[in-house]
Amino acid sequence: MIRINRNLAAAVLVTLVLLPFGVLIMWSFSTRWFYPQLWPAQWGLRAWQYIFGAAGTQIVSGLIQSILVALVTAAISLVMGVPAGRALGLYDFRGKDLISVLLMLPVIVPPLCVAMGLQLWFIKLGLSETFSGVVLVHLTFCLPYSVFVMWGVFSNYNPDYENQARSLGANSWQVIARVMLPLILPGITVAGLFSFLLSWSQYLSTLIIGGGKITTLPILLFALMGSGDRPVAAAVSIVFVTPAFLALLFSARYLGGQSIPGVR
Amino acid sequence: MGELQLKNLTIRYGSATVVRDFNLAVLDGEMVSLLGPSGTGKTTVLKAVAGLIQHHEGEITIDGQPVKDLPPEKRKAVMVFQKSLLFPFMNVEQNIGFGLRMQGRREREIRREIDQIMQLTELTGLGSRKVHELSGGQQQRVSLARALVLKPAVLLLDEPLSNLDANLRQQMRELIQDIQAETRITTLFVTHDQAEALMISHRVGLLLEGRLRQVGRPRELFYRPADPDVARFFGGCNFIRGRIKDGNFYSEFATVPTALTNGNGHLLTATIRPEDIRITPESKYELQGRIQKTNFEGSATRIWVQCKGNRFVILTPDADFSPGQTVSLHLPPEKIRIFPAEEKSVINDPIESL
Repeated sequence: MIRINRNLAAAVLVTLVLLPFGVLIMWSFSTRWFYPQLWPAQWGLRAWQYIFGAAGTQIVSGLIQSILVALVTAAISLVMGVPAGRALGLYDFRGKDLISVLLMLPVIVPPLCVAMGLQLWFIKLGLSETFSGVVLVHLTFCLPYSVFVMWGVFSNYNPDYENQARSLGANSWQVIARVMLPLILPGITVAGLFSFLLSWSQYLSTLIIGGGKITTLPILLFALMGSGDRPVAAAVSIVFVTPAFLALLFSARYLGGQSIPGVR
Repeated sequence: MGELQLKNLTIRYGSATVVRDFNLAVLDGEMVSLLGPSGTGKTTVLKAVAGLIQHHEGEITIDGQPVKDLPPEKRKAVMVFQKSLLFPFMNVEQNIGFGLRMQGRREREIRREIDQIMQLTELTGLGSRKVHELSGGQQQRVSLARALVLKPAVLLLDEPLSNLDANLRQQMRELIQDIQAETRITTLFVTHDQAEALMISHRVGLLLEGRLRQVGRPRELFYRPADPDVARFFGGCNFIRGRIKDGNFYSEFATVPTALTNGNGHLLTATIRPEDIRITPESKYELQGRIQKTNFEGSATRIWVQCKGNRFVILTPDADFSPGQTVSLHLPPEKIRIFPAEEKSVINDPIESL
């Protein structure tokens, strides 16, 4: 029974995850593929040649831009999320529920509203069409996730580990670097990865705040898809998905077998 | 060298006073237990000495030096917690070496110290084990070794044995005793287990409701309790009332010669340990009573006897008693301890008030 269930689960997983990828890969290697046909009528490397040739510099700069934005966003979101999660998880104070609701707001409210609302302010503050502006708007979506993850981690955290370390002669900095960070590392990895992937896949907010000046990969992707060249769009999609996919694989391998304490 | 002095220590959490006017000295090389039921502030005292919480009044000195302004890492007192709190991302050796590495000692020196202490705590060969591969007793030994390796002036142990099962506890007690005797490290040991405290320490301090009620050698506390509460904590449950007149304490149950003169003519309380009362089915003694209940406890039997409106609890190796039986009792005067001062709380039914 269990074996059958396991096979079924694997089959569902393959169908849901790998099948769309298969289609995407086929599209990227096709030169002619029209509606009723099951397979592309003609195979070729035109799309990939275009990406690495004529559009190469554009794609690479988009890739770099995306990585930069996502890395900076993830880093800031961790630097803010860890202390915030620590305060929320370890201490009791008034207004904790309110904070929880406020944190959820950007997740609940449609991103379009958030980005449109912020744009007015960002224009006034001179943040519109800048790198920092895009990072800031990404943070509104990433920060709630990293705070919630770290909140969960710290609710299951025993501060006596730190007391023990201090009594053994570690000063405050050593306690943070040698005890707290290693203890919460799995949580940090999850929160960082969440933030990175969330920022990586932002399109709307980047478009509105970046105004076309900050051309991350999704911006390029949408432009190419709008032009109607399906094979090229498919190839760019693969380029877009690969780093995120690799990051996920790496972390799954790294986190494999370890339980992540308190991640909700 | 290590000497710990606590003078008039008072510690509050918010508005609640947890520890009040606490005085205790632990001499160099001495092992002192702080004994008391849970929630009486024992751990609080330890944390204050370790510097993990601030005390509000009074003074803590280690080797004659006040430590109020020293952060925990600069105090020469190391605390071992109830849970072993081993760092899960380090192996046994790294855990033991943690404190030395924080001090930035040389790696060769660290290695030598670790090897030495692992031998002392019977951990040799387990150095590269992961923490989760260790048994409960081994974990506790690692956490002990982690503190001992620093050679602190004062070692603070917070119920390090309470998470272990009975057999292991006995072994660990002996190990701690041996290590303490060998290293002569000044130790303050916190426990709620009276047997543990009596067995392991040179002196015991009994803490009840944030106050230190009596400090002394284990025998003193056991046989010469300072007041009824102390007696009750050590399982004393027989209290009799009487008056002192002309060098004798007179009660319905016994007459005890005494040097006490205070409270002459006033009603005083005295106690006798359950194992000191003699009981026999023959009518050999003056006091007659009826058995209410018996409890077989293995090496002894606990018997409740109603006698002249008082209920006595008796421990006897003799198991041949049954409820309803008439027995005679004898309270040997030399085993009766008279409390010098009259307590406000009058004990009518010692069993209920237990």
